[in-house]
Amino acid sequence: MKDFEPKIVCFLCKWCTYSGADLAGTSRMKYPPNGVVIKTLCSSRVDPQHILLAFSKGCDGVFIGGCHPGDCHYQSGNYKTKRRIILLKKVLKQLGLNTNRLRLEWISASEGKKFANTMVEFTDQIKKLGPIPKINCE
Amino acid sequence: MKKIGVFICHCGINIKDTVDVDRLTEELADYPGVAYIENYMFMCSDPGQNHIKDAIHERKLDGVVVAACSPTLHESTFQTVLKESGLNEYQMEIANIREQCSWVHTDIEQATHKAKLIIKTAIEKLKLNESLYPVSAPVTKKALVIGGGIAGIQAALDIADAGFQVIMVEKKPSIGGHMIQLSETFPTLDCSQCILTPKMVALSKHKNIKLYVNSEVESIDGYVGNFNVKIKQEALYVDPAKCNLCDDCTEVCPVLVPSEQDEGLSWRKAIYIPFPQAIPATYTLDVENCLGLEPIACGKCREKCIAEAINYDATDTIIEEEVGAVILATGFDLYPVENIPEYGYGKYPDVITSLQFERILSATGPTGGEIYRPSDGKVPKEIVFVQCSGSRDPEHHLSYCSKICCMYTLKHAKLYKHKVHNGQPYIFYIDIRAGGKRYEEFVQQAVSEEGILYIRGKVAKIYKEGDKMIVIGMDTLSNKKIEVKADLVVLAMGIVPSEGSHDLVKRLKINTDDKGFLSEAHPKLRPVESLQAGFYLAGTSQGPRDIPDSVSQASGAAAKALILLSSDKIYHSPIIASVDEDLCSGCAICVGTCPYGARELNEVSKVVEVNEILCEGCGACISACPSGAAQQKNLTDDQIDNMIKIIASGK
Amino acid sequence: MKSGYFPGCTLKTNAKHFEDSAMQVMEVLGHPLEEMENWICCGTVFSMTTDDLMLQLASIRNLLRAENQGYDELITLCSMCYNTLKRAKEFILNDEENLRKVNDFMYKEDSKFKGTTDVVHLLSILKDRITFEEIKNKVTKPLTDLKIGAYYGCLLVRPKELAIDDFEDPTIMEELVDTLGGEGVVFPYRLECCGAYQTIIEKDVTVKRTYEIINSARNAGCEALITSCPLCAFNLDQRQKETSEEFLEFSTMPVFYFTELMAIALGLKWNKDWKKLHYIDPVPLLKEKGLI
Repeated sequence: MKDFEPKIVCFLCKWCTYSGADLAGTSRMKYPPNGVVIKTLCSSRVDPQHILLAFSKGCDGVFIGGCHPGDCHYQSGNYKTKRRIILLKKVLKQLGLNTNRLRLEWISASEGKKFANTMVEFTDQIKKLGPIPKINCE
Repeated sequence: MKKIGVFICHCGINIKDTVDVDRLTEELADYPGVAYIENYMFMCSDPGQNHIKDAIHERKLDGVVVAACSPTLHESTFQTVLKESGLNEYQMEIANIREQCSWVHTDIEQATHKAKLIIKTAIEKLKLNESLYPVSAPVTKKALVIGGGIAGIQAALDIADAGFQVIMVEKKPSIGGHMIQLSETFPTLDCSQCILTPKMVALSKHKNIKLYVNSEVESIDGYVGNFNVKIKQEALYVDPAKCNLCDDCTEVCPVLVPSEQDEGLSWRKAIYIPFPQAIPATYTLDVENCLGLEPIACGKCREKCIAEAINYDATDTIIEEEVGAVILATGFDLYPVENIPEYGYGKYPDVITSLQFERILSATGPTGGEIYRPSDGKVPKEIVFVQCSGSRDPEHHLSYCSKICCMYTLKHAKLYKHKVHNGQPYIFYIDIRAGGKRYEEFVQQAVSEEGILYIRGKVAKIYKEGDKMIVIGMDTLSNKKIEVKADLVVLAMGIVPSEGSHDLVKRLKINTDDKGFLSEAHPKLRPVESLQAGFYLAGTSQGPRDIPDSVSQASGAAAKALILLSSDKIYHSPIIASVDEDLCSGCAICVGTCPYGARELNEVSKVVEVNEILCEGCGACISACPSGAAQQKNLTDDQIDNMIKIIASGK
Repeated sequence: MKSGYFPGCTLKTNAKHFEDSAMQVMEVLGHPLEEMENWICCGTVFSMTTDDLMLQLASIRNLLRAENQGYDELITLCSMCYNTLKRAKEFILNDEENLRKVNDFMYKEDSKFKGTTDVVHLLSILKDRITFEEIKNKVTKPLTDLKIGAYYGCLLVRPKELAIDDFEDPTIMEELVDTLGGEGVVFPYRLECCGAYQTIIEKDVTVKRTYEIINSARNAGCEALITSCPLCAFNLDQRQKETSEEFLEFSTMPVFYFTELMAIALGLKWNKDWKKLHYIDPVPLLKEKGLI
C-alpha cells in the first residue's frame, strides 16, 4: 500500500507566518509538501466555517498561523482567532474528530525554522492520525 | 467565464530544478478558465513581462496568474504589467511556488504536484476577483520625529528644510542624545560637541520645528498619512520662557543626584541644566529627587528665583498633534554591565564603561578632559580596554557585534596616548572590524605609531590587588594565559535598543527583531522603512551603527517621509471589508470586532457601513458575521471555499 | 521527601573530618544525614571523551540504587561527587539511546534506571531548605573576627547548568560564613582551578596554583579558606608543603571544610582527630580567635 499522504490546508497571516514560511524558503529549510497555503491578511479572517468545510471536503488537517500575542498587525486579530479555535475544537470533538487535526501556532516573520519544524511535526502527527473520517457538517 | 493566462517562471534553476514546469504547463492547459499557459526562464525580466503583455493582447485575457516567487518580491512588478496592458491590477494573482514550494521540497514528483495545487488555488481565487481601485485619502503634511539624538536631529532638519512641519519628541530634558556625551569622533578625531551643537541650535531656531522635551509619545492612532498623536509632556516646573539661566536655583538646591550626562561620574542638583549647551536652554526640575514639591520640606529654589520661573504646582499635560509620517529614532543604551559580574563593575571604581571614559576624555566632562581614574584621581599609567564586553557571546550575552566598539576603543587608546605620553594602553579584542572609510588606516596608524598593544583574546576576570586592577585573559595567538596589571579598565560595552523603546514599540505596534531593534521592511532594499506604513527608522534604533551611518540613514528616512508628505493624496489598499446591504440584519456583532472603529451601524437603515479609509482589511469582522453579509474584497468566503476545495480534492 | 546521603570514597578516608563534622552539624540542625546503602564510587570526574558511556555506569548505578532504596534525592558533601552524579544523570536522561544502552548494563540491579532521584549539594540544602536564618539562630559560638575566603573551585559552579549559585559570581559560601558570625571575604582566585588531578602527574602545576590561590586569598585579607571539595582541599592544604619549599617567602594558611567551621560555630566540640587530617595546623588560628 502506498504511504498515506495527508492533505493539509494552511491559513497563514500575511504579516507573520506567511513571511516566516517565505523565510523558511529563503533559508532552504526542508519540510513535507503536504500543506498548501491560503494567504489571509490576518488569522482572524479564518472563519470556523472554512475549517469545517475543509474537513468535510476531505482535508486531513488544518493549520492556522498567526502573529505572536501582542504582535498582531491588526492589534488583536490573533486573540480573536485563538478564542474561535478554542470554541471550534469543542465542536470538532462533538463531531467525533480528533482535535489534533486543527492546529494554531504563533510564528513570526523571523521564525522560518519554527515554521519548517511545525510543518514537519504537524504532517507527522496527521500521518499518525490517518485519513479523516467522513463527516457532513454543511 | 474569465479568460485566464497562466505564466510559470523557472526562476533560472530555482524553480525548474524541483518543479517540472513543462509538465505543469501541459497538465494545466485544459483546466477550466485557462485560456493561455506558458513557462519562461525569468518572468520578472523585461522579455518575460513582454510575454505577459503580448499574451494579454493577443489572447484577450481577463486575468493573469504568475507562478513564481513570493508576492512580497514581484507582486507590484506584475501588477504594473497588467496596468500597462489595460487590465485592472487586481486581476493578477501570484502563485508562490518558489519560497513555499521549490525551495523547501526536494522530491520533484511531490513538488510538482504541490505547485499544481498552488496554481489551481490562485486560478480559483482569480476567477472571482473584482476590479478594484485604490481608496484615496488626504495627507497631513507634518512629520513626527521620536528621539532627539543625532539621527532624529538630522531627520527633523531635513524634513523641516524641505518646508514641512516637524514635531520632535524627546524623553530627556535636552536633545543631543549620546553624541553630545562623546569626546571626539573617529576616524577624524573632531570634537563631537563642536559638530553637533550647531545642528542642535539650528533645530531649536527652525521655524518649522516644534520641540517637546521631557515628553513621550503615548499613542498614535489613525493610519499612514493621517496619524493622531498623543504626547505626554512632563510638568513644566521651570517655565522656559521665564528662566534666564542665572543658575541661582542650582546653587541653593540641597539635593545631589548622579549626573546622567556624566554617566554617574559627577553630581548634579535636583534642579539643573543637563549641560551648558542644552537645547532647549532652560533648567529642569527633577521631580523624583526634588524635595520642594512639598514646599514645607524645601522650596529654596523658588524663593531664590528672581524671574519667578519656578512653579511647583505644574502638572503633566497631554498634547495632541496630527501628523502624516513618523520617524523613529529611539537610539541605544549600553548593554547592562551588571550582567557581567566577573568584570567587577560597580565593585571596583576603576572599572568603567566606554561611555564613562568618553566623559573623562571630554573637555566638558567631570575631569575637564584630563585623564584621572575615579578611585583616587591618579593618572592611569597602564590602561586596559576590553572590547566585545557583552558582545559576540551568544551563550551568555549578546550574540551580535556592536559594530562601533573596535573603532571607538582605538580612538580611546589614541586620545589617552595623546594626553598621557608615557602611558601604555592594552586592547583585548576578538577581531578588529574596521570596515569604513579611512577606518583601516586609522587602525594601522595607531598600531604602528602610537604603541598601542593589541592582545587577541577575551578577558575572563578582573579583580583588584593593591591599587592595581588585575585583568586576566587569554592571548589566543600565543595560547597563553595573560595577566595585565592596570590602573584603569575600560569596558567597551555592547549596544542594546534604548530602554524606553521597548514600551514605545509595543504601544505603537512596531515590529522589532528578536534583539528588540526595530525591523526594517526589507533588510537590503527597504532599510529605512518600517513594515508599518508611514513609519520610518533612523539611527541605532534599528541596529548598532556609527555616526556617519546614523546620519545617512536619518537623511534616507527623511527622504522617504518626504515622498509621503509631498504627495497630495495617499492611496489605501482596496482589499478591505464590504457589506451586502440585502443580507445585513444590523446585529452589529461585527462593529465590536473592528480594532479601527471602521464599522458603524447606520441607525436609520439598520445596516452596518464600512469606513473605507479606516478599514485595514484584516477580516476579523467577516468571520464574525453570522449572515455572510460582510465580505472581504477579493478574498470572499466563496473564494476561500473554492481554494479549500482544490486542496481537499488533492488534485 | 526522603533524602539519602551519598558519601563517596574520600569522605571515608582523607576527608573523614568533612563527613564527621557534616553529620554532627546536620544532627544539630535537625536534619540528620541518612547514608544510602550499597553505594559505590561516584565515577569521579565527569568524562568528556566522545565515547564515554562506560564512564557513566558507576554514577548511574548509584542513582539507580538510590531510586530503588526509595530516595527522592541524594545529598552529597563532595563537590566532585555532586558534579559527577548530576551531570551523568542529565547526560543519560537527555538521550533515549544512552538511556537504553546504560540500562542494558544494569541487569544485575533490581530495576531499570528512570532518573527519579535528584542530586543536591549540602550547601543548597543549608541555604534553601534549612535556611541561613535558621542556622544563625543556632549559632552559639560566632566566628567573630575570622576572615574566611570561600574557595569554590570549578565543580560547584561549572558548567553553568549545574551551578548551585551564580556561575560567575557565587556568594552562597560567603553568606554561610557571614551567617556563622565570621567575615566572608571575596577573593579573586576563588573560582580558579586548583590543578585537580595534575597533582599526581604534574605536581608543579598544582604547586603553582596553590601558591597563586593562597596568595590571592591572603592579599584579600583572608586568614583561612573553606572548601567543599576533598581534591581542592588536598591540593590547597597538603600541597602547601611543596609550595613552601618552592617559594621561600610563601606563608601558609589553614584550609577547612565548611562543615568544620559550622560545627565550631554551632557549639560542637572540636575533634582532635580532625587536626591530623589537616596538613597546615588550624589549631593556632582557632585558639587565637578563641574558638577552641
